[in-house]
Amino acid sequence: MGALEDLSLQENMLLQYEVEQFLYHEARLLDERRFDEWLELLTEDVHYWMPVRRTTMVREIEKEFTAPGAMAFFDDDKKYLTMRVKKMSAGNAWSEDPPSRTRHFVTNIRIVDIQGDDLTIETNFHLYRTRLDSEEDSWIGRREDMLRRVDGNFMIARRHIFLEQTVIMAQNMSNLF
Amino acid sequence: MYPSLENLTREGDRMAELDVIARDSWFDADTGELDRRVFSDQQLYQEELKKIFARAWNFMCHESQIPDPGSFFLNRIGDDHVIVVRDRKNQVQVLLNSCAHRGNTVCRADQGKTRSFFCSYHGWNYDLDGKLLAIPGEKDFYRNDIDREALGLATAAQVSSYKGFVFATLDPAAPPLEEYLGWVGRLGIDSIAARGEIEVVDGIQKNRVRCNWKLAVDNLFDWYHPKVTHGSAMRTGLVSVADMYPLNQMVILGEYGHAIGGPGVSEEKQAELTEKFHGKNRSEAADRRDYHNAWKTSDEAREILGPVGVRSRGHPNIFPNLWITLGGTQACLRIPCGPLETELWWFTFVEKSMSAEAKRDLIQAATHIFGPAGLLEQDDGENWSHSTRGSIGTVTGRRPVNLSMGRGHDKVKADPSGQSSIETVINEHGQRWTYRCWQEWMKADSWESLIENHSAAPTGVV
Repeated sequence: MGALEDLSLQENMLLQYEVEQFLYHEARLLDERRFDEWLELLTEDVHYWMPVRRTTMVREIEKEFTAPGAMAFFDDDKKYLTMRVKKMSAGNAWSEDPPSRTRHFVTNIRIVDIQGDDLTIETNFHLYRTRLDSEEDSWIGRREDMLRRVDGNFMIARRHIFLEQTVIMAQNMSNLF
Repeated sequence: MYPSLENLTREGDRMAELDVIARDSWFDADTGELDRRVFSDQQLYQEELKKIFARAWNFMCHESQIPDPGSFFLNRIGDDHVIVVRDRKNQVQVLLNSCAHRGNTVCRADQGKTRSFFCSYHGWNYDLDGKLLAIPGEKDFYRNDIDREALGLATAAQVSSYKGFVFATLDPAAPPLEEYLGWVGRLGIDSIAARGEIEVVDGIQKNRVRCNWKLAVDNLFDWYHPKVTHGSAMRTGLVSVADMYPLNQMVILGEYGHAIGGPGVSEEKQAELTEKFHGKNRSEAADRRDYHNAWKTSDEAREILGPVGVRSRGHPNIFPNLWITLGGTQACLRIPCGPLETELWWFTFVEKSMSAEAKRDLIQAATHIFGPAGLLEQDDGENWSHSTRGSIGTVTGRRPVNLSMGRGHDKVKADPSGQSSIETVINEHGQRWTYRCWQEWMKADSWESLIENHSAAPTGVV
């Protein structure tokens, strides 16, 4: 694939459509708890990461998020993501059995870079979760994804998640973003 | 006998005569029965803030988090918001985060570095030790009629550090930190500090659970739950059943409520481990499951932890609310936010001398086991929030919770070194000790009366 700036408007629109449809499909797999199918969308070298965020003054804003390698809420390779999925289907994962109800919204989708088969995609997201009778969680944030074209299909090679919360206002994050 | 609804109602009528707060006793150490309303009662919670959090030595941060003059970290003592800061003389100060003028928050960033604390309301500016440096309009509006000396930020009554762990108390009558900790509290902190020169990894994970803080605390002594609660995490292979359900348990009880509960290794097993790991570069113990076994075989670790402490693989709790994990790699503060909500703050420690790879392994293990997304911890919050909910019902709340496991079946073994332990199977000794001490704190009018009336660590049959 050529560089982003070399694409015509029509090529760009088609690519945008393709990316959007892929992300909507992915969101649907997660909401329908089709986690094994979701795992198949991940490349072997996937990096799934959510750093810790804290309130800082503007003059120290570059320290707002922890750096890669420091503490994070998620810092997963495919092995760990496979464990998460295995856990959810173990039959005794009490935080997900009875299951949470989730709805993933993906918006403001922008293709920001293309390097060979790798597309860098920025999105905003809203993950809404309810559980049992009265638990309600709402997570809004930004994702930086890298999608890789493999045999004509997209796969997820990177997902970096930047949440709009410093204290996670939930008893857990047993779900996927 | 299973109480019928009729019995509960009668019991309720008897209990209803008194507010929860007015009961003579909430916990019966002989039966292990605890009035479950201690997990939800608002008045009792207000008393806890006064009698426990405003009195106790509370963990603030590790010194490595505030390396330079001006480095600060925000924390809480009960419902009081504090700034932990290193001042210009390199002294650690704990300041109430509230302007002397109108009470506004003077530091809003969770952590960072600053030259002073500047109030965003009217511009009162405080030095790093809390001294009020300047007031806009001191001459023109106040007509020089204000006592700046008396209007600094309020400071904690006492601030002290044990092996780099900074604690503060809001009560001037509290005994010195080391005396407060006693050998059990010190052993708890040494379970991290004895690893060598340590520092906190950047990033304090925080999340909020709808549970009473005490449920999060007493769970750390509970080695009955992992096989059930964390069964799904074991299936993933991240942790093994042997790690999570060890039958050899060791409980260590200390004055003022400090305790350690969880796995322990026998003297024979410790000798085997020493054979295997002694003299090896302990931070390089390849498998993280061996890490906490390995570092405890060094001569220094044995010297610092003592012959009994070195065999503990349990969870210390520094009363009231600092949990230290069994490998000495993490600590978790349980901050009360009302009777029905608790914040969990995770601190992770590496040795400065560790290789980059060993650090990475430790951080990876910490991230994947604990924290709100941790494969183990994901399932804890649900138990605690629903146990809290189970303490609320008007009639449901009348039935005490049962903490009787092992009561009367075990013995405290005194070691010639002065250390002591209960070595047994899975049990609820740590929980009973916690509530017995908690009750003593709640019944004491002052530090003087707590010092005089608190229980010494038990001896003999427990």
